[in-house]
Amino acid sequence: MSTKFSGVWGTFEYLDDTTEAIEELRKKGIEPTVLSPCPRHEIDHALGEPQSPVPFISLFFGALGCLIGYSLPAWTASDWVLPVGGKPIVAIAPFTIIGFEMTILHAAIFTLLGLTILIIFDSLKNPIPKAAREYLRFQRDRFGIVVRCEASQYALYEDLLKKYQAEEVYVEKG
Amino acid sequence: MASTTIGGTVTDTSSSRPFREEIDEHKGHPGIRATTFNYARINDDMVEMLEKPHPSYFLLVLGFLSALLLGAVSLAIQVDVGIGNSGISHPIAWGFYITDFVFWIGIGHAGTLISAVFYLTRAPWRTAIYRSAEAMTVFAVMTAGLFPLLHTGRPWLAYWLIPYPNERYLWVNFKSPLAWDVFAVTTYMSVSIMFFLLGLVPDMAIMRDEAKRRGKMLQAKIYAIFAMSWRGTNHQWVHFMRGYLIFAALATPLVFSVHSIVSWDFAMASIPGWHTTIFAPYFVAGAIFSGLAMVMTVLIPVRVVFRLEDYISYHVVNKVCQVILFTSMIVGYAYATEFFIAWYSGSPYERAVFYFRPFGHMATWSLTGDQPVSFPLLAFYLMVFCNVIAPIPLWRKKVRNNLVAVWIICGLINVGMWFERFNIVGSSLQRDFHPYNWGEYWPTLVEVGITIGSFGFFFTLFSLFVKALPPMAIMELKEAAEPPMRKGHHEH
Repeated sequence: MSTKFSGVWGTFEYLDDTTEAIEELRKKGIEPTVLSPCPRHEIDHALGEPQSPVPFISLFFGALGCLIGYSLPAWTASDWVLPVGGKPIVAIAPFTIIGFEMTILHAAIFTLLGLTILIIFDSLKNPIPKAAREYLRFQRDRFGIVVRCEASQYALYEDLLKKYQAEEVYVEKG
Repeated sequence: MASTTIGGTVTDTSSSRPFREEIDEHKGHPGIRATTFNYARINDDMVEMLEKPHPSYFLLVLGFLSALLLGAVSLAIQVDVGIGNSGISHPIAWGFYITDFVFWIGIGHAGTLISAVFYLTRAPWRTAIYRSAEAMTVFAVMTAGLFPLLHTGRPWLAYWLIPYPNERYLWVNFKSPLAWDVFAVTTYMSVSIMFFLLGLVPDMAIMRDEAKRRGKMLQAKIYAIFAMSWRGTNHQWVHFMRGYLIFAALATPLVFSVHSIVSWDFAMASIPGWHTTIFAPYFVAGAIFSGLAMVMTVLIPVRVVFRLEDYISYHVVNKVCQVILFTSMIVGYAYATEFFIAWYSGSPYERAVFYFRPFGHMATWSLTGDQPVSFPLLAFYLMVFCNVIAPIPLWRKKVRNNLVAVWIICGLINVGMWFERFNIVGSSLQRDFHPYNWGEYWPTLVEVGITIGSFGFFFTLFSLFVKALPPMAIMELKEAAEPPMRKGHHEH
């Protein structure tokens, strides 16, 4: 996390105050970082329904897992030929089970890795001040809005957050 | 709160009303009072659960540890002496260990069913119980995983089950259901653990900050490791929620596949009583049935001890009981179908096995010397009684609202499902095609000890879980709860 944060952040008791403040900030061209104790669809609506690329990661690695799941038994069966019950050496039906399991396993592992990497990447891209990170009520019952801005805009956004009933507003002079 | 005016005095009438009517249908989820609580209260209730336990808790854990110790000693004897020390012999190559394996895999189904399948179907009553059920899945699958390794007789060579390059270019036989099982169970265990840990991350951040608020810095540091710098930003939530949905979507077919594959361990063989296409749905229904019964077996005491009436409400218990009842009917139907198909097939071997099972021609053990009692015979009648007859009272709402009755019925179902597994595993092997190939099975003390130990292992892990990690998903409880709004009610 960057320690040179410059901007304003505030805490909110009510969800509707938070979403209204987000909407006004977005009208001014600001994409704030919002903290909340749980996921809320109202915040997503206010932020313009942000999307995550995680499904594409799952799809790609699921397909790769499927390929591995079919090709590993096919290759090993061909490497050491072991006729079983008069069935084909490369038998698609029983290998489908391995293909299915490998699809799920690869998709799951890389979904977890992918979302972890994306979260780290986004956190570096959208830093929040140390004081906001250490504000204990965001995990309890308060919402937060972090606005990254220049020193000349501190007053503007401080007023905006206060207008929407922010309980506390802090200015971080990077 | 409902109120009325009597003679100019405002009186609160809500306390005299039945539970369901106390809930404001516009706030939270109907039937789960906790979803009307504010966020801070939910945090506080969960933190309180993890406070220093009552001395009776340690006594309980000691009891489970004793069972685990018995299992460990039995296991040591088994590994030291070898598989000959068990009752397994020709023709009964699969005895208690494979029964235990199938039983515990089945128990492991409920967690993923509740956390993934009911998540996708948006069943709101799952919120309060899914974390515990998920933990149960992880512990049950860990327990189950021990048995095939033990059953090989040389667990130190278990890596032979995995396809790895070796100097003789020998590979596992991917056409064998046993190789499918290795892949199915390891995938299921890996995905269950990842799903469980993923769901825990936001709750660990809550516990980290609550520990800091209460000045418990060591606890905060431990929780911080699992919280992985979680702050609850919109960037984190968007990836987390999408990933969680995908995990649920991946786990849903997995939960149905894993017990289907376990059933094919049997169904792919040509043994009478096993070689049937009904096995996959029959096993999956049985797994859900037994898993949910185990969920109730562990959660009803948790509800009472931690006074979680507002979270694990009668509404939740009712819903679980309804699914138990439904799966009980599927299981009962499957039992009947097995008999019908055995008769309808015209195969004398199938008919013989299904005649032997209820009518005791397989009498193998004598209590008094002249009144033979068959262990598989006992298994059959216990199976039918516990799985088909015992759940019938759950049709009545009055019974579903009686926690003691539900707990007893669920306990019976657990017993019945273990015996169902034994009935499938043992009886078919005892009597296959030719009388020359018939044999008897009676478990040794070592097998009984390891089976008891497996219960000790499972319950020890679960007891530690309920006091070490939040046993309910705090984040999801908050999500289900009414958000704080300055301008009135939130519309779901």
